[in-house]
Amino acid sequence: METILSIRNLSKSYGAIQALKDVSFEVPAGSVFGILGPNGSGKTTLLGIILEVLNADAGNGAWFGGMPGEQARKQIGSLLETPNFYHYLSAMDNLEIAASIKQRGMDDRERVLQLLGLYERRNSKFQTYSLGMKQRLALASALLGNPKVLVLDEPTNGLDPAGIAEIRELIRDLNQQGITIIMASHLLDEVEKVCTHVAILKKGDLLLTGPVEDVLRHEDQIEVKSRDLTRLQTILQQMNGVHKIQPVNGGLLLSCETTLLPEQVNEYCMQHGIVLSHLTLKKKSLETKFMELTG
Amino acid sequence: MKNLLAVEWLKMKNFRTFWILTGFFALLLPLWNYGISNGIVKMGGGEINLISQAYGFGYVWQNLGFWTSIFVVFLSILTIILTTNEYQFRTNRQNVIDGWTRMNFYHAKWLVVLLLSMFTTVYVFIVGVGFGAGYGSVNDFPGSIAHLFYVWVLSLNYYAFSLLLSIFFKRSGITIGIFFLYCMILEALVSKFINWWLDTKAGNFMPLQCSDELLPFPVLDVLKAMTGAQDTVQPVYYVVCSFAWIGIYYLLGRQKLLRSDW
Repeated sequence: METILSIRNLSKSYGAIQALKDVSFEVPAGSVFGILGPNGSGKTTLLGIILEVLNADAGNGAWFGGMPGEQARKQIGSLLETPNFYHYLSAMDNLEIAASIKQRGMDDRERVLQLLGLYERRNSKFQTYSLGMKQRLALASALLGNPKVLVLDEPTNGLDPAGIAEIRELIRDLNQQGITIIMASHLLDEVEKVCTHVAILKKGDLLLTGPVEDVLRHEDQIEVKSRDLTRLQTILQQMNGVHKIQPVNGGLLLSCETTLLPEQVNEYCMQHGIVLSHLTLKKKSLETKFMELTG
Repeated sequence: MKNLLAVEWLKMKNFRTFWILTGFFALLLPLWNYGISNGIVKMGGGEINLISQAYGFGYVWQNLGFWTSIFVVFLSILTIILTTNEYQFRTNRQNVIDGWTRMNFYHAKWLVVLLLSMFTTVYVFIVGVGFGAGYGSVNDFPGSIAHLFYVWVLSLNYYAFSLLLSIFFKRSGITIGIFFLYCMILEALVSKFINWWLDTKAGNFMPLQCSDELLPFPVLDVLKAMTGAQDTVQPVYYVVCSFAWIGIYYLLGRQKLLRSDW
C-alpha cells in the first residue's frame, strides 16, 4: 500500500523533558490513522514537527515519499491544537487567506462553510464565534479545496455531543471518499470508533502501532484459583489462546483471546490433573487496556 | 512575492487599526506642518519661534523630513501590531501549516515594511510638493530632495527595527513599550554617553540614531549656517550605517525564526 507519511526516528525535547523518543511509523494511504495517548504524551509535538512549526532534535517526517514540506502542506488540510484565525476578520475573509496561501480552494469556501454548518454566520467576525464554531471553522478551513490528506489534532475539542457525533460521521464520510486522515486524540473511544490504524504514545515513547483491530483487540480475562498456583501457572502457560498470566488476589488473571471460553480452561486444567477452586470470566474494557498501556 | 503581498493585504485591508494608524499619519503630518508653516504651532515665547517656518522648495524637504522622523512612530506601531497580531492569534503557525515556509512568512512581513516605507516616502513627496508649490515657486523644484531619500532610509530603518522587536517580544504591549523606551530614552542616553565618553560621534551610529542624524531638527541648519559650523560626518556614512543596521535586523530576525519553535 502507498505510504502517505513516513516518520523516522523522531526525537524532540523541551529542556529536560523528552517529548518524543525515537518515534517511527508509517501512515498508509486511505487510512484513518489515530495517534492516541494521554495528555502530554507528545501527540501535538509530533504533528507540529510533521507540519514544520516545531523543529525536531533528530529524525524527520516525509510526506508523499519526500515531497518538499511546503508543497505537501498546500495539499494537506490541517488543524493543529487550537483554531488559529484573525479575530477581526469574518469566516469568509479568514478562509480567503487560507485559500490564498494554499493557492487553491478559493471558490470552495461556501461549500465547506455549508458542510460545517457555518454558512449563515459566514460574514460574522471570528471573535464573535463560540468555541464550537471556532473548531468548526478550523475544520472547514482544513477541508478547503478537497485535500487528499487531513491532519486533525483533537478534532472534536469544544464540540457538544451532537457536534462530536456529526464530526465523527464527517470523518468517516471523508475517509470513504478516499481521503487519508491522521488524527490525534486522547479519547480511546474516538479512535476506536473512527480509526483504521493507530499509534499509541506514552510520554514520548511509541508503545504500539498497527491496524486498530490488532492493537486495540478486545481481550477477555479469566480469573482462576487452585491449591497449587505455581503448577497452575506452568500448565496454563502452555495453553493456546492465553496471552498473559498475572498473579492477583491469591489467584491468576489470564489475558486470553475472546474465543477462549472458561469451560475450555476448566477442561484443560482437569486434563492436566488440576482442580480449580475458582473460575470467573471478566470482560475487559478497552479503557482498562488503554490505562494498562499508558497508565 | 506577489502572493505574499496579496495575503498580507488581505490581513490588513479589513483591519480597522491599520486604517486608523495610517490615517493618523496621513492626516497629522500635513496638518502639523501646516500649523508650523503658519506659526500656529511654535516653540518659544512672544515673537520668538525656534521652529523653521520655511516651506518653499529650498527648505521643505528638511522640514518635512524632520517631522516625518517623528510621525513614523505611527507606522512603527502599526508594524508592531501587524506582526504581534500573528503571534497573538497564532496565525504565524497557521500560515505555515497552510503551506508557507517560515521564510515566506518572514519575507511577507519584510515586504510590508518595505511597502510602508515606500508609502511614507511617496506621501511625504506629495505633501512636500504641495507645500513647496504653495509657499514658494515651482521653479525651485526639487530643492534638496536628497532628504526625501533620507526619509525612505529612516522609515525603512524604523519599521524594520519594529519588525525585529515584534519577532523577539511577540506581545504587542511589551513590544510597543520597549520600542518607545528604546527610541525615546535608551538610545538617546547611550549615544550621548558614548559621544561624551569617547569624545567622538560614534554614538550617532546607533541603530535608529544613525537615521535620525540624516534628518536633524531644521532650526539647527539655520544656526549652523549662521555660525558656520560644519557637520563632521557626511550623510553618506549615516546612510551606509542605516543599511548596515537594516541588514543586521534582517539576519537576526531570520535566525530567530528559523531556529525557534513556532
